[in-house]
Amino acid sequence: MAERLVIDPITRIEGHLRVEVEINEGKVTEAYSAGTMVRLLEEILKGRDPRDAWAFVGRVCGVCTTVHSLASVRAVEDALDITIPPNAELVRNLMFCTQYMHDHVVHFYHLHAMDWVDVVAALKADPKATSEIAQSISNWPKSSPGYFSDLQKRIKKFVESGQLGIFANGYWGHPAYKLPPEINLIGLAHYLEALEWQKEIVKVHTIFGGKNPHPNYLVGGMACAIGLDEASAINAERLAYVGQLLQDAKEFINQVYIPDLLAVAPYYLDWGAIGGGLGNFLVYGDMSANGYRDTAGYKFPSGAILNKDLSQVYEVDLREDAQVQEFISNSWYSYSDGNEVGKHPWQGETTLKYTGPKPPYEHLDVDQKYSYLKTPRWKGNAMEVGPLARVLVGYARGREDYKEVVDSTLSKLGVPATALFSTLGRTAARGLESILVADWAQEFYDQLIGNIRNGDTRMANTEMFDPKHWPDRAMGVGHTEAPRGALGHWVVIEDQKIANYQLVVPTTWNGSPRDHNGQRSAYEAALLDTPVADPAQPVEILRTIHSFDPCMACAVHLYDEEGKHLSRVSVVGE
Amino acid sequence: MKTKVLILGVGNVLMGDEGVGIHVARQLATQPWPEGVLVLDGGTGGFHLMEHLENADQVIMIDATLDHRPAGTVRRLRPRFAREFPRALSSHDIGLRDLLEGLTILGRMPEIFLYAVSIDSIQSQTIDLSADVERILPSLLEDVRNFALSLIEDPTFCCDQPMDPIDEDEGRLYAHYDIHSTS
Repeated sequence: MAERLVIDPITRIEGHLRVEVEINEGKVTEAYSAGTMVRLLEEILKGRDPRDAWAFVGRVCGVCTTVHSLASVRAVEDALDITIPPNAELVRNLMFCTQYMHDHVVHFYHLHAMDWVDVVAALKADPKATSEIAQSISNWPKSSPGYFSDLQKRIKKFVESGQLGIFANGYWGHPAYKLPPEINLIGLAHYLEALEWQKEIVKVHTIFGGKNPHPNYLVGGMACAIGLDEASAINAERLAYVGQLLQDAKEFINQVYIPDLLAVAPYYLDWGAIGGGLGNFLVYGDMSANGYRDTAGYKFPSGAILNKDLSQVYEVDLREDAQVQEFISNSWYSYSDGNEVGKHPWQGETTLKYTGPKPPYEHLDVDQKYSYLKTPRWKGNAMEVGPLARVLVGYARGREDYKEVVDSTLSKLGVPATALFSTLGRTAARGLESILVADWAQEFYDQLIGNIRNGDTRMANTEMFDPKHWPDRAMGVGHTEAPRGALGHWVVIEDQKIANYQLVVPTTWNGSPRDHNGQRSAYEAALLDTPVADPAQPVEILRTIHSFDPCMACAVHLYDEEGKHLSRVSVVGE
Repeated sequence: MKTKVLILGVGNVLMGDEGVGIHVARQLATQPWPEGVLVLDGGTGGFHLMEHLENADQVIMIDATLDHRPAGTVRRLRPRFAREFPRALSSHDIGLRDLLEGLTILGRMPEIFLYAVSIDSIQSQTIDLSADVERILPSLLEDVRNFALSLIEDPTFCCDQPMDPIDEDEGRLYAHYDIHSTS
């Protein structure tokens, strides 16, 4: 008999994702993914000055504040046909690379590692054996027996007190945890080291963005002044510091993150055949050394892959009406012209119509509308976005740097290329693109320094900043590849104000409900056939969902009155 | 330079009353402060706040909570553990809690005082505060200001200050996942 399992909330940070699955004979046979908070940021933006939009959208989320601000300024610059100076492009790229490295490391150690690493079992590790393993996989200096034994003693106290959620609330001891105690201890040690490291790398945002959290962006460029000898500007000392931070980040990725990934993966190779999902992948592309408009130079090339066929990459056009469309047939919204139509974001509408069960409720009525996420489609296809999509598109396009990291990893793990289409593949892809991004950051940095040495200190193009130069009506789209996947902001400006603003965010692509044709979206598809040993401790479901790095804060922005039911659910969970 | 007292407002200004901490920080930031005080709009900062927290001796945090008390109720708490921070906050809180736990393990947790402001609901579509919360803002600003100034003068000032009791289930939403199953 099928058992219905509800997990709510499923995200450790940033918002609320609810997943309902049916389990038959120890496997997931049906899955539904729902965002249970309301999305209405678009309504807050209507009528505002488009030059201010970046500051509002940057508040959506505490994890990826910069990516929304970036997409926003690009959308407005696109609408007003503003070309920004090369240095501003490079500074944006550097802030973006910083965001990537920060986000991927934090995801791996603080959001995802605990699905694979049993931190309580780490207490049983032999510090000497741990040290030997650590030194065999990396040159990272913090690897002595004394280091691991001190750490163990310190952690033991916290585990015994039961006061820390990280040690109290996991599924520790679950049979799905396969690592030897020593690798668990390495994972725990690096959980703490990564926490310390992440506070360093974000200083790049403080330097270029003026403050952190929520650094400053500017329509037309960046708001930082370059002056090599000026105390208050981005001077030689600050630039040197940025260089050092980027170098340290590269070291952390190559000597800690990647060796850990490769040490953990061999114990979970069965996950190279679980959680594959759609097999359709979408990338908008980003990061050219020559600026955002140089699409051919994108280090993350754009493209779409269908049915796991890497021999063909389709071109993607965010302006074309029939490509990216949002549907609401299973979402709590209404469209002015019917329930079945898809809307390109420039024509997007955000009118709430909650028709779900009155909270508190046991189950969503999944035959009806069941989510606050809309359902985006590319030419009618459900698509997965994110690190795996980017790595596959780069690989399929024959980019040498992608081929090198992908092929060498597959051969180290002794798995075929088909293992990429999986939960493990998704988690590995995040690591592989971190290696690439760390290298690109060095290139962008060298180029910025070169420009400044040659006397180019331009950072903003203010020709169009004054609204009196603007047309009566303008439309723009700004995209980026957020760490979680393809992100687009579409803006319509009328009479110098925002007339429409639509965000289509990565977690909407991946976590949305079915479409009008009953096609599942990425999470729902990936969960099918996932084994679940113990429905009371569904760590396997979390592995697959977390491999997408869900971030619901921007997918569904706000609670409504009904949002209070979330505390009700925690009572049921007792 | 080390911050002696960090006044940290957290919350999401896009969610009405949920952003009350940000409103407090922004208003206090316009006032003159003695050396050693830093007023910070922490936004939805989560992990990004580590540097600021680690660099402070004492922290006064202002945040909203959905704890079923009348809207505008202000409690001053001295949470000992991350799990005692208010529950059912918006999207930012668990990231912040993970950070506080990490700081605890690393032995770098500053002393934190929390002004928890009860709110009725998290409103969509507005960056304004409700009348109930707007009303208590002036007295909250004054309380936070006086508390910070007293701490700067004497860091042990807090020792004999009354603190509100921490709820039994304060921060229970910390449990990462709430699960129920039916056959």
